[in-house]
Amino acid sequence: MLVKRTYTRRQAGALLGAGFAALFLSGAPRAGEAPRTHKIDIRKFKFAPAALIIKAGDSVEWTNHDIAPHTATDEEGDWDTGTLSRSQSATLTFKTPGTYSYFCAFHPQMTATLTVEA
Amino acid sequence: MINKKTCAAALVAFTFSMPAVAEEPMNDLEIAHTAYTAGQIDIRYAHLALALSQNEDVRAFAATMVRDHTAVNDAAGALITELNVTPQDNALSQALVKGAGEKVEELTGLRGKAFDCAYATNELGYHQVVNQTVEGKFIPNTTVEPLKDLLTDALATFKQHEKHAENMVSGLKCS
Ligand SMILES: [Cu+2]
Repeated sequence: MLVKRTYTRRQAGALLGAGFAALFLSGAPRAGEAPRTHKIDIRKFKFAPAALIIKAGDSVEWTNHDIAPHTATDEEGDWDTGTLSRSQSATLTFKTPGTYSYFCAFHPQMTATLTVEA
Repeated sequence: MINKKTCAAALVAFTFSMPAVAEEPMNDLEIAHTAYTAGQIDIRYAHLALALSQNEDVRAFAATMVRDHTAVNDAAGALITELNVTPQDNALSQALVKGAGEKVEELTGLRGKAFDCAYATNELGYHQVVNQTVEGKFIPNTTVEPLKDLLTDALATFKQHEKHAENMVSGLKCS
């Protein structure tokens, strides 16, 4: 799992670039289709979209728009964005297919699912 | 005019009722002061819970109260600096501080489940009352747009806390 906390747009770009480079070097991408980065907004204590389907090798960028800090944390403990303060983003890359239920570690009533298809 | 004696008495009589003190609506600077004070009080309760509770859910809730109310009050502090104004102490802020002092004293004497239940129940009641006041009085009476926006965002946060506190209370199976 690649974890990249991003604080500014410029840093985000650099880190995203680094992420793709790492992905390329590890030989993970599928033939013929470039990995994508999907965006999930955390707003008013909700993940939007609350259910997202991606392809293995794709990345997801969570951005927190609330004053309250949030996280996106896998229920099984396999991955975690860490604390996202207002306007902060974190990008994770998913290589292992499966359905992940996740929540906010600070506000456990905030839940969502992420499906990674082969 | 504001009657301090009346509002202190009201606080004692109804632990969770925000004293109905002001005939005339509070001004922006008073609202800012009281909203900030209410947040500081909840942070104080949370530190007490972190010091005294062994319950994982209660401790997690308290940590979230510290984190969220600090974030809201930091935003309020930044706004106050930006607007270059000074929040005004007022009877409602004073009544809240006094009530909180008494509650802290009461909680300090408790341990174990008695503490957890008293803390959780107080958090639920406190957030209910603060939310009613922010929604029904503070937001409608605020004239400064950025303060209104901040209070609206803060209310969304506090409403989550209220729901979270409700779950905590029922999870603890108190009384
Ligand atoms: Cu959260």
